[in-house]
Parts: sequence; structure tokens; C-alpha cells
Amino acid sequence: MMVRYKMHNSFGFKSLAAMLLLLILSSSTSYRASAETTMHTNNWAVLVCTSRFWFNYRHMANTLSLYRTVKRLGIPDERIILMLADDMACNARNKYPAQVFNNENHKLNLYGDNVEVDYRGYEVTVENFLRVLTGRHEAAVPRSKRLLSDEGSHILLYMTGHGGDEFLKFQDSEELQSHDLADAVKQMKEKHRFKELLIMVDTCQAATLFSQLHSLGVLAIGSSMKGENSYSHHLDSDVGVSVVDRFTFYTLAFFEKLNMYDNASLSSLFTSYNPTLLMSTAYYRTDLYQRKLEEVPVTNFFGSVMETIHTDSAYRTTFSRKTSETIMPLQQSVEHDESRQLINSNVQDQTSDTKIEDKQCPFTRRWNAFQDKLEKIERIDSLVNYGLIIMFPLLLISTWLSR
Amino acid sequence: MQIEASLWNASWATDGGRMQISLSYAPFEARYRGFDVARCSVDKSSDMNQFSSSGSVLKQGGGEEFSEELLLKPFPDRKVLAHFHFQSRAPHSSSHGRHHHLFPKAIAQLVKKFRVKEMELSFTQGRWRYEQWGGFDPLSSNNAKPPGVELWAVFDVPQSLVDVYWRNLTHTLSGLFCASINFLESSTTYSAPELTFKPSFGNLRYGTLPREAVCTENLTPWLKLLPCRDKAGLSALMDRPSIYRGFYHSQRLRLTSSESGSDEVDSGIGLEQTLTVVLQPSSWRTGKTYSVETNIQPSWSISSIFGRNIPGKCVIAKSSNVYLHLDNGLVGELKNLERENAKYVANTFESEGFQSNHAFKISVTPDKVFEEVDYLHGKSTSVIYGFSVEKYSDSQPFDLGLTWKIPVVWSCQQAPLHASRFLMGSGNERGAIAISLESTESSEGLPTSHIIDGRCELRVDIFQVVPWYIKVYFHTLQVFVDKQPRAMADVVDKIRVSPSKDKVSPGVMEMILKLPCGSKSAAFSLEFDKGFLHIDEYPPDANQGFDIPSALISFPSFNARMNFSEDEFLNNSPILSKFQETSPVLSYTEVLLIPLTTPDFSMPYNVITITCTVFALYFGSLLNVLRRRVDEEERILRSRAGRKAGWISQLLSRLSAKLRGRPQEQPTSSLPYSFISFRLVLKILLVASIAVTWQYYFG
Repeated sequence: MMVRYKMHNSFGFKSLAAMLLLLILSSSTSYRASAETTMHTNNWAVLVCTSRFWFNYRHMANTLSLYRTVKRLGIPDERIILMLADDMACNARNKYPAQVFNNENHKLNLYGDNVEVDYRGYEVTVENFLRVLTGRHEAAVPRSKRLLSDEGSHILLYMTGHGGDEFLKFQDSEELQSHDLADAVKQMKEKHRFKELLIMVDTCQAATLFSQLHSLGVLAIGSSMKGENSYSHHLDSDVGVSVVDRFTFYTLAFFEKLNMYDNASLSSLFTSYNPTLLMSTAYYRTDLYQRKLEEVPVTNFFGSVMETIHTDSAYRTTFSRKTSETIMPLQQSVEHDESRQLINSNVQDQTSDTKIEDKQCPFTRRWNAFQDKLEKIERIDSLVNYGLIIMFPLLLISTWLSR
Repeated sequence: MQIEASLWNASWATDGGRMQISLSYAPFEARYRGFDVARCSVDKSSDMNQFSSSGSVLKQGGGEEFSEELLLKPFPDRKVLAHFHFQSRAPHSSSHGRHHHLFPKAIAQLVKKFRVKEMELSFTQGRWRYEQWGGFDPLSSNNAKPPGVELWAVFDVPQSLVDVYWRNLTHTLSGLFCASINFLESSTTYSAPELTFKPSFGNLRYGTLPREAVCTENLTPWLKLLPCRDKAGLSALMDRPSIYRGFYHSQRLRLTSSESGSDEVDSGIGLEQTLTVVLQPSSWRTGKTYSVETNIQPSWSISSIFGRNIPGKCVIAKSSNVYLHLDNGLVGELKNLERENAKYVANTFESEGFQSNHAFKISVTPDKVFEEVDYLHGKSTSVIYGFSVEKYSDSQPFDLGLTWKIPVVWSCQQAPLHASRFLMGSGNERGAIAISLESTESSEGLPTSHIIDGRCELRVDIFQVVPWYIKVYFHTLQVFVDKQPRAMADVVDKIRVSPSKDKVSPGVMEMILKLPCGSKSAAFSLEFDKGFLHIDEYPPDANQGFDIPSALISFPSFNARMNFSEDEFLNNSPILSKFQETSPVLSYTEVLLIPLTTPDFSMPYNVITITCTVFALYFGSLLNVLRRRVDEEERILRSRAGRKAGWISQLLSRLSAKLRGRPQEQPTSSLPYSFISFRLVLKILLVASIAVTWQYYFG
């Protein structure tokens, strides 16, 4: 902080302006720094099935499959918000009461004996969904129905249902638009409700739902590009309807091979989607996510595996932050560049300057060089003379022209 | 004395989440430091030894108790009833930080926080068939519930606060039981009955959600309230697919709490959890060939209907019993059969040989046989066989089976009047609700009807709630007794009506009827208009129709209770002592499904697009006519055409004109020209700067 302060003074700004700038700067940079250095504290999952009616059985099976997977990989029930728009397991049309299958071999009962549904039936609305994300509940709402994440949380948001260009239908009566989702995510970011967020959507034209996202730390996977449909995988003739969607089926196929201790990376998940099997192109948006996908294990979102810090003493809180130390130099350079840019242009777009260090505005760079050279000039008199001499013919030509 | 430590993973305890607790490092070792205990000195000799030798702090439990029981009962229509009954009790505590051994902490907190005096919550799927399964015994009166969720609660707070407490309670329960009970918070869904439901002083609230789905996610949290969950004891039987395959299942939770000081024995919180399931035993599983004979009852066993056995008792339960109940109709029928077969005369019910008589066989010898004592009339009485699960274990599980040898046909005892409700009228505008009461056989022989002022009368209470969009006209109430119209004053003793307010409160009707004794039937009809809902108020599946919750019909002059001869064992068994409690005979009617006028939900979109188009066309053309100036437009067009050429080409053309010596025509009216103009100064500055740069770079 002190270094920065001196820097400002050397530029010779008025003290008030400097203070003001410093304030803006420090608030923005310290926020970013905190977001990057906050340790991963916990994992949450919000799993949403937005479709009602029996023929949408597969959407519930999709959601429950993901529920089972994240539970198996270590996220406890109290950190999973499960939203199911209809009751399929005890539906009168279900030949297998209290059971839901995602495969026609019926080997795995997804409903199990220990399922906790937090929002179900008519409660699954866009309003409630946005309330869960942003944490704006009535005071009486119990803790089990809230997403109590903090700034170190990694959140998995899985949604499935029927969608279209920039929207996702809820219960055939409402729509969640891509703007709504982006706004909610932005609000979450500002409320420090997550560190990293993975949005996984299995609908038709899923990629369009991510088009408005701008918040840092968000990673998005969709089952299909704009103009593509997401198809179901297979029909179970015993149950009578399709039981799983292709995208989710192949996602599960990837996860079934894993356990909590595997280090499969997110990029291996992303590359596992085969467009010919999916019959659509899986889309992933990574530009808002800073870490390299090859280095991030899938359990970062789908499980609850956390770095542990060993301390020698039981109660002392002086912990060695080695991981954060290594990041520091790089971060300072970022701050440095950023501050200069701020002074010169005085305009900063918070969201657009993600990679400032390598794509600084060309005009600014030229101006800096120009200024530097200007200071180095010695024969300033001759320069002025030459300039005056050249000025006269030019002036003559121009007056002659404009007469 | 005991010390307890807990491991905290909350953000405040882990330094903002930075010091994580990983459970994979378990088991943990904890040390206490700087710890000074001041304790009272205890008489060393006796107490300490007692505790350590018995080693069961749990059994001590701070006065908490838990018991589990299961009652099985064959039904005349080849089905079997399984009724689980779990009861826990915690003594009242004045301190807030009480430790709970057996009693669920969540429930204790709920009672404390919301000042609940009494509460009952039931989740039901299916309909209790009063004709076949009986409607007179305490089992059906207490456990036959309307479909969906029913919740009522009595609060120990001033009347003005009851609604607030109710709202908060519904939210908490919805979180606790994974159901949308929080829909009951809206004032349109709950009511405050005063006359018929229960004696209350304005602090009772009653609400139902007829369409709430009931499934595993509701049963699981309910089971988690039990100390043994579904891992041991009788609850281990609860195989989810078998339970939900049943014809009827109802899980119920009933809370009673009383302040300390009122009664020493009953003070504290009592929690009664029951699960009532009606299942169809599959006869092919037993391997018998009786399935050819259709009129013989299917033989069944616990393992055949649940697919599991009882692996011994839940070790911390005070008692763990299984009962087999043969109702009085069946016992009477068996006695008749016996009388016909003279050779079995020696086999009387009182003797021990009943479990292997000519009609059926029980696979396990009962520990106890209870016979109902009916002082009132000399009809046949029901029999209950008691089995204790305590001596069974994992290696030797308990499995009770009932094998029928001969076909038996009987019927269960029914409520004095069979109630049913239906809709009349057609169309989407208006209709009528009718409640019909038909007398059943059982009421004829019963002398329990009250004789008041020389007139024999039968008291019937009706409690009916209708949602606000069913606008009932209470003045249209018509009464028919034995199909003859009667004046309302003749039959209706008391009536309390609170008409519905649109979007504020539902309509409530409570009636106390006095029917003449010999009447065969009674019917009531009420007309209503169907209201319109706002488009946002329709549920996503509005075309399915709207539910009117069940009406509750009660017969306060009849008591559903069983009398057993005095026995020490009876008082220890919660299920049997429950049967001996006096409670009125209750029955619920069917849920009615009313189709309302549903709009075309894409209509708003269509309307918006059409009106927007019309507006755009109208205003667009009008503005065009009013604002358009033809000459001005032409002038603008011309100037634009003149300006269209870029400034370089313009400059060039001007240069060429200069060179040729001809003056160029000016398309726009030129500004008055002066030598020292702003433009000139600008130009000079520009040229100067260009010169300076050129000088600098190339100089």
C-alpha cells in the first residue's frame, strides 16, 4: 500500500485527486486480491430440475443422478439444494414406486433411502431459484432451504429442463432468461457468495444461457450450441418414457469411473464429450475463469475435497500461507500496471480489463514513450525554429485552399 | 458427570474458513487445557457405582423414553394393515441448553421456539376405505387422514400472535420434512375452527394441502427423528418400495407439550410418530396353491409383505412389541364357524390353542393375548396377540406369519353414518357441493345414540373448508333427511360460518347436526359460484383442476375406544393405551376436484403482440401525417447528397477547381468569413503540432 502511495506522489497529482484515485484503486484491487487469495472453504451444489409432468421423467433422473454423484464425491446433504419440479418417484404412473432409474438396466435406484428434496412441486419457481442464488429469503425460511455459501465456496449449479435461445422454462409457465441468470450471478459475486461457480446446463440451446455472464470466477458448460437440440439418451420401455439425457448420461459415464481421491481434471471432463454421441456440441465458456482447466480437478466442484493446513500448535492461528505467497509477485505486477492505466486514462471498466498486463491500450503506450522522449530532448531551440519554418508554407497552402 | 466436546466447522470457529476441519483425519484426539471444574461432592459409595456398572447413560436418558410397536391386522378385502407406532417423551426443562439423549432435538427446539401446545402433522397418500377397512375403531379414527398434508396446531400464545407463530411453524416444518408445508402460511389456506374440530380458544389453526406429494423424502426425515433411525428395531422393516407400493400410507407426527407443574406425570413433550400402511400381500410369494381359490384370504408374513425381517429390537427402546389384531367382525365369524364345526368345540378362544385353530395358523407363539371387554353389548369382541421382539436378534430375526386354512368372509365395524361428498352441476360458472350421510349396519344395533327430551337424536359435526375461489352461498343450504326436505332449524343445532374473502381467507363452515335416530340418510347441499383467479395465481398445471379439501365428519356421541381387562402390561404399551383413550369417531370425506375456467396461458403474449402492432401502425401513420414537411425533407436530402462525398475528395475537387481558376459552387450557405476565425486558429495549431512531431521524429 505504501509503495503505491509514493508512486502517486511522484506523479505530482494534487493530493485530493490522489486520495480519491487511491480509494477507488485500493477498493477494486483489494477486492480482487481477496477473491483470489481467499481459500477454498466449502463446496455447495444447487441442482435444479425445472420440468413438470411425467413425460419429463428424464429431467428428474438427470438431476437425481447428479445429486447422487456429488453426494458420493463428498458434498453432504446440507450443502446440496435440490429442486425438483414434480414428484416422479411416487407418481401414480410410476410402476416402480419410490424408485427412479436413469438406465433401463434398473441397477441403480437413484431415489435411494436418503434423499432430501429442498424445493419441490410448485415451489420450484424462477423467483425461488433466484432467491436461493442471491440469498434474499424471508426471515422464516429454514436453513436447509438456503444457500449459505461464503466467499471461499465453490458452487456447482446444475440445471436441466426445456430451454431455448437465452431462456430456460420453469414448469412450462415461467422462463429464466440469460439476463436473469447473469444478474443473479453478478449479485452473488458482489455479495461474496462464491469463489468459483460452475454452471452446467442440459437443455436445448444451452450455450445461449451463458451469453450474458460477466462475473469472474464463473465457468459454464452447456449441452448444446445455439440452434442445436439436446436429445435424450434412451427409452425405458418398462417405465415408458426416456430416462436420461445424452449430455448427462455421458457426464455420469465419466464420473462413474471416479472416486473422491481421483485427480481427473476439468479439461478431461470437457474433452470427454463426443459430439457424435451427444448429437450436439458441448459448449464451455472459460474466459471468466482464471485457473487452467488442466490443473483443476473435477472434485473442485463435484466433490468436497479441500486443502488441509497442518498447524503445529493447536490454537495458534499463525499459519503458513505458502500457496498464497507464491502468487503474490505476479499479483503485484498486475496491480502496478493497473494503477498506471488508471492514472492515464482515468476510466476503468471493472469487468472488461481482465488481462491488463498484456493488452494495454496502444495509445497509452505511445503517449508514454512520447513523453519519455520529450523529456530527453536537449536542442529545444532548434526544434522550435524548424517547426516555425515548416509552419509557414503549410499555413499558406491552407489559407489559399480555403479562400 | 460427563464432559462433552463438539467439533465445529462453522466459519467463526475455523477462522473464516481458513482452518478447515477434514473429517478424513478422524479419529480426533482432543485435550482439555486450563480447565477448572467446580462440582458438588457426591456420596461416592452408591451412585457412582450404579452408573458405571450399568454403563447405560442412555437408559437413564435424563427421563427420556422411547418405545416402538407395530400392529398388524388383516382386512376383509385381502389386504393387511401395518401400523407402526413410535413414542418418545422428554421431561420439561427450564434451561435452554438441555442435552437430548433419545428425544429429537429438532422437535424440542420447535416446541420451545413456537410455543406449541399440541400439533399434528400428517402426510397421506391414498384414501382410507371406510367401507372395507372400518371406521369405528380408534385406529381408523386417529390414523385415517385426508390425502396430502394436514396440519393443525394449538399455540400457547396470545391470540394476536397465533398467526405469526403459525407462519413461522409452517416454514420450519417445511424445512424439516422436505415438503412445501410453507404454502400453508398464506391466510387463504388455513382456518381457525372453533366449534367442531377440537375445543380451542382461538389459538388453534388448521390447514391442509390436498395435492402435496408424499414420498421417500418425507419419510426419511421422519425416520431420522427416531433414535434408531431405520437401522435397527421395527423401523428396519421400512423398505421404501414396499411401503409406497401400498394402497394407503399415512405418516403422522403428533406432539403434545405441557408446562411443568400442571401434572407431574405428563409434563414435558410427548412425540408420537405413526406410520399406517395398507398393503396387498402377494399370495404367490408364500408358495401356497390357494391362489386358485379366490375367496380364501392370502397368507402372509412380515418378510413377504415388507421383504425384510425384524432384526431384534432397537436397543435403547423401552419396549418393542408386535401385535396382531383380529377385529370383532372376524372373531365373531370365526366363532360362528367353530360352532358349526362341532368337533372343534373344545377349542375356545380363551384357551391357548387359538393360534393354531382350524381357520388359521400363526407362525410364532404369542407372548400375550388380549381380549377386548365390551360391557355394553354382548357382541363378539376383538382379540390382540402380543409378541415381544426383545429376544430376537440379527442371527435369529423375528418373522410373524399368518396362514389361512379356510375361507373367511367378514366385515369391519363402520362408523354410524357413512359420509361421502360430491359435486353437482355442470359448466364452469356455478355448481353445488353435496354431503351425503348414509346409515350403516352398525349404527342400527348401537344403543349409544343420545336421548334428549324424549327424542332420540344422533349428533353429527361437520367441518368444511372451501378455498376462496369457490364462492359458497350459505343461504342456499338445503337439508334432506330420508330424502325429504327439512327445515334447517329442525336438524341444524348450531352453525358457524365465516364466508371467504377474496384472496384473503377461505370459507369455513362448521355445523352441529341433530339427526333423528331412525333416519336412513341425510344430505346437505350448498351452491357456489366459481371465481376467477389472476393469471399469476394459477398453478403450472391449472388444467388439472383445483382441490377442495376433505370435510371432516365427526360423531361426538360415539367413542372409538377399546376396553381391555385391566393389565399391567397394557399401561406400558403405548399403542394399547392409545386404543383405550376416549376419542370421538371421525371420518374424512373425499377430496373434490373442481375444474375452473383456465385462460389460454399464451393469450397475454398474443394480446401484447397484437396491441403493440396495432398501436405501432396507428401512431406511426398518424405521426407521419402530422409531422411530415415535404420541402424540408427534400432540402435535407439534397444537403446529404452534397455531403456524401468524403472530405478528401471534396478537398481534391476544390483543389482542382482552384487550379483551373473557376470558383466552385457552394452547396451550403457559407458562414460569414473572417480572417481571424476559430477555424483558422485551429488550423495553425494543427500545422504547428504536425511540424513539431515531424521535426522530432525525423530531425
